[in-house]
Amino acid sequence: MNLIVPFKIERKMLSKRNLVTYTIAFLLILALNFLLPRMMPGDPLTAIYGDEALIAMTPEFKAHLIERFALDQPLWNQFGAYLLALFQGELGYSYYYSAPVSAVILGRLPWTLLLVGTSLLLSTLLGIVLGIESGWRRGSKTDRALLTGLMSLNGFPDFFLGMVLLIIFGVTLHVFPLAGALTPYAGLSGLPLVLDVLRHLFLPVAALTLTYLAGTYLLTRNTMITVLREPYMLTARAKGLTQRVLKYRHAGRNSMLPVVTRTGIRVGRVVTGALFTELVFAYPGVGCLTYEALLTRDYPVIQGVFLIVAIFVLLANFVVDLFYPRLDPRVNSAY
Amino acid sequence: MHIDLKREIKESSAGKTGLVILLIMVSIATLAPLIAPYDPCQQSISSLLSPSLSHWLGTNQVGQDIWSRLVFGARTSLLVGFGVGIVSTLLATIFGVSAALVGGLYDKVVMRVVDAFIVIPMVIVVILVAAYLKPSILILMLLLSLLGWQGGARILRAQALSLREKGHIAAARSFGAHRFYIARRHIVPDLGPILVVDFIYSIRRAVFMEAGLAFMGITDPTVVSWGMMMRDALSFSYLDIWQWWLIPTGVALSLTIVGLTFIGYAAEPVIEPRLRGAEVA
Repeated sequence: MNLIVPFKIERKMLSKRNLVTYTIAFLLILALNFLLPRMMPGDPLTAIYGDEALIAMTPEFKAHLIERFALDQPLWNQFGAYLLALFQGELGYSYYYSAPVSAVILGRLPWTLLLVGTSLLLSTLLGIVLGIESGWRRGSKTDRALLTGLMSLNGFPDFFLGMVLLIIFGVTLHVFPLAGALTPYAGLSGLPLVLDVLRHLFLPVAALTLTYLAGTYLLTRNTMITVLREPYMLTARAKGLTQRVLKYRHAGRNSMLPVVTRTGIRVGRVVTGALFTELVFAYPGVGCLTYEALLTRDYPVIQGVFLIVAIFVLLANFVVDLFYPRLDPRVNSAY
Repeated sequence: MHIDLKREIKESSAGKTGLVILLIMVSIATLAPLIAPYDPCQQSISSLLSPSLSHWLGTNQVGQDIWSRLVFGARTSLLVGFGVGIVSTLLATIFGVSAALVGGLYDKVVMRVVDAFIVIPMVIVVILVAAYLKPSILILMLLLSLLGWQGGARILRAQALSLREKGHIAAARSFGAHRFYIARRHIVPDLGPILVVDFIYSIRRAVFMEAGLAFMGITDPTVVSWGMMMRDALSFSYLDIWQWWLIPTGVALSLTIVGLTFIGYAAEPVIEPRLRGAEVA
C-alpha cells in the first residue's frame, strides 16, 4: 500500500487517460453491484432484498418490484432497468430501517464526513510538516526517532490502534465516552451540544489521524530526501535564501506533490481506516451502517453503501486531478 | 539491475528486526501443535478464567484456552498471508511483464484496468462479495489475491520496460529469441528483488485484511483468527479480561505486520534507488 513508485512527471496525457480509468472503474463497480445478487442461485428478489424483507412484502409490492427491475426479463433488460432506477436516484428500500436506502445513508453520511474530514486534514498537515522536518535533517536523532516510531505505527492494524486508545482513555481513565457520537437523550442544544459532539469525536479522530499519518509522513520524507539532492536546491542555497524559505518553499512544496498525486492509492487506507475506526468506537457513520447491514443481511443497504463510497472515491481522485496543475505548474506546460 | 537484496535487508537494522520477527512468527505457526497446550477449539465449562499456570492467558467466553488460540491464530494469518502473497505476485508478474513486452493495445487495456482497480478501495469490494458468498478461507484468499495484484503489476511493468532496452536483451532478441523466452530467461530473473518487495507487501496487506474482515465477522467463524479473537475480546471490554485477551492478540498481529513493514522498507531502495542512503536506521 505504501510502495514508493519512481515519481516522475508522467502526466502528459493526464486528463484523457484518467477519464478512461474512472470510466472503467465506474463500470466495474456497476457491474459488480448489478451482477452479484443476480448471479446467486435462487430467486433474484431474495438475493436483492434478503429473506426477511420478502416475508414482510405484500404480493402487490413484489410484483411491482419484479416489473420495476425487469426481473422476469433477460439480463440485458434488467441492466437497463437497473440503470434507469439508479439515474432516478433510487438505491432501493431497506426493510430493516423501513426507509429508502438513500435516506438511510444520507442520515449517516455527515458523521463519517466529519470524522474522516477532520482526521484527513490533521494527518495531512502533521504528516507533511513532520516529513519535511525529518527529511531535512536526515540521519539525525529526531529523524531516526520519527521514522522508527511512525513506521511501527504504520504496522499497527487500524482497529487495534483504536482499541488501545479506547481502553486507555475510555475504559481505564474515563476521560472520553466509549461509543457513539452524541450523548443519547440528553436534549442538548447550542454550545453544550457542540462540546458533546467534540468530546465524542476526539478519540475516533485521534485514532484515525494516527492511522493516516504514517503514510503521508513516509511519502513526504522520502520525496524530501530526493528533492534535497536536486541542483535547484544548490542554486537556491547559493542565492543566500534563509533556511526556512529553503526548507518550506523550495524543498517542502515539491515534497508535497506525491502526497497529492498518490491520493488514489491512499484512498484505500482512508476508507478501511474510517470503517474500522467507526466500528471500534461505534461511531454512527456509514462504516457502522455497513457493519449493521452485514449483520442483518440488509442487502440493499450494503449495495447502496458500496455504490456511494465508490463514487465518492472516484470523485475525490477526479478533483485531485483538476487541482494538481495548481500545485505543480510543470503539468500545465505539458499540455 | 544487479542488486543484492539480501545485503540490502541485512545491512539495515530495521530489515534485520523485521526478519527476526517474521522468523519467530513462522516458527510459532509451524510448531503450533507442539507449543499450544490445548486444542484451540476445545470448549469447556471454565469460561472467562483469569491467567493461571494451566491457562497462561486465561480462557474466553466459551472456555477455550486463549494462549492456544493465539498460537494457532498465527497459522491462519500466515497461511492467508503467504498464499495471497504467492498468487498476487504471480498475477502481478504475468500481467506486468506481458504488458511491457507485448505493448500496444494489450498494454493499454491491461494498464487501464489495473488503474481502475487501484482506485476502487479493496475493502468495500470484499465486503460486498463476502456479504453474498460467505467466504471460506480459500475463497477469501482467492478474493484478496484477485484484488491485490494491481499495484505490483504497475511497478513490475515499469521495471520490465527499462530492462527491455538493456544490451543483453537486445542481443538475445537479435539471436532470434522468442518474447516468452526473453521474459522467462532474462526479465523475470532480473526482476527478482522487486518481486520480493511486492511479495512482502502483498503478504502484509493480506494479513491485515484477513484480520480486519474477521474482526468484522465476515469470515468463516470456525477458523481460529486473531481478528475474530479481538472482536470477541472487545465485546468484553468492561471486564479486566482485555489485558490478557485483547492486548496479546493485538500485539501479535501488530508485530507480524510491523515485521513485514520493516522488511519491505529495508528492501525498498530496490524499487527506488534514489532512496539509497535515505535509510538511517
